[in-house]
Amino acid sequence: MKDLQLLSLPTGLMPLLLCFGLAACGREVMRPMQDLNSSLLQSASSRREPAFGRRWLASLSNYQGREKIELLDLRSRRPVPLPGLNRPDSHPISVSVSANGERLALVRQRGDQTELLLYQRSLGTVQRLELSAKGIPRKVSLDGFGRLLAVQVSRDGRWDVDLIRLSS
Amino acid sequence: MQRSQQDPALSGNGKMLAVIVDQRGRPTVQLRDLQNGKILPLRHFSRHQPHSSPSLSWNGRYLAAITQRGDRRLTIIEDRLTGRVHPLPLPGGRAPVRLSLAPDARQLALQVAYQGHWRIEVFDLSQILEPDPSSRLRRSISSTEMGS
Repeated sequence: MKDLQLLSLPTGLMPLLLCFGLAACGREVMRPMQDLNSSLLQSASSRREPAFGRRWLASLSNYQGREKIELLDLRSRRPVPLPGLNRPDSHPISVSVSANGERLALVRQRGDQTELLLYQRSLGTVQRLELSAKGIPRKVSLDGFGRLLAVQVSRDGRWDVDLIRLSS
Repeated sequence: MQRSQQDPALSGNGKMLAVIVDQRGRPTVQLRDLQNGKILPLRHFSRHQPHSSPSLSWNGRYLAAITQRGDRRLTIIEDRLTGRVHPLPLPGGRAPVRLSLAPDARQLALQVAYQGHWRIEVFDLSQILEPDPSSRLRRSISSTEMGS
């Protein structure tokens, strides 16, 4: 009888009961940010490679079968324009954003070239970055100030991590 | 730097670097102090490999990464200040694929699979973790950053 009563509870109560149960067992529970997650779900058919700035969330977002770099302002929950960054002849691989959302580091495939780039949002400029030794970039991580970049590079059959100091 | 390294993640202040290295065939998180090149000790990342997708808070107080527990992928966050570990299972038993910790450690973004597509979900950690840095230090950092 009790089981039947539990099963007939409104579905909205089940996550709450689950959270309460886990908390009672000493496990911490992450609280989903429902409004933000709903807008993330509705605005693109898929989304991957999250990268946080302070009030920014960069990701690779798929719109009508085409993936592009998107920077979401977490205050307004809207994407901000990134003029000159997403090109129809390129495919993004990795992205990272500085804390203030001004600089984005990215790896993208364009033709047979894998490019390592720095985008400055206020200027709308895309600057190609060169590796100190020949290799193929794969993943990027930018520090909060946008002045230091760590890049995973395929070189001589293994993965390296290069550090690149960027001009202010 | 040493043998194969993948998945680099810088702390917000640029003083620490987390990478995935191959330790006896097991992908393992390693944390390095970039000022002196030394490898920093981690209490909770010596097992539960493979590790993937490390992410650091502003001062590197918190290190988040995806680990393996039995047949499940599990996000954990190590608090390097207190030595505590925070296992953070996803509701519904789903598996995290990639993650990013907000610089102040108040939020966590997780890439998960949902109905055949990749999806990003953001979680509030403010009831679980103290902010990094403290609000006083955060004001000091804001004044030195480029204007947004």
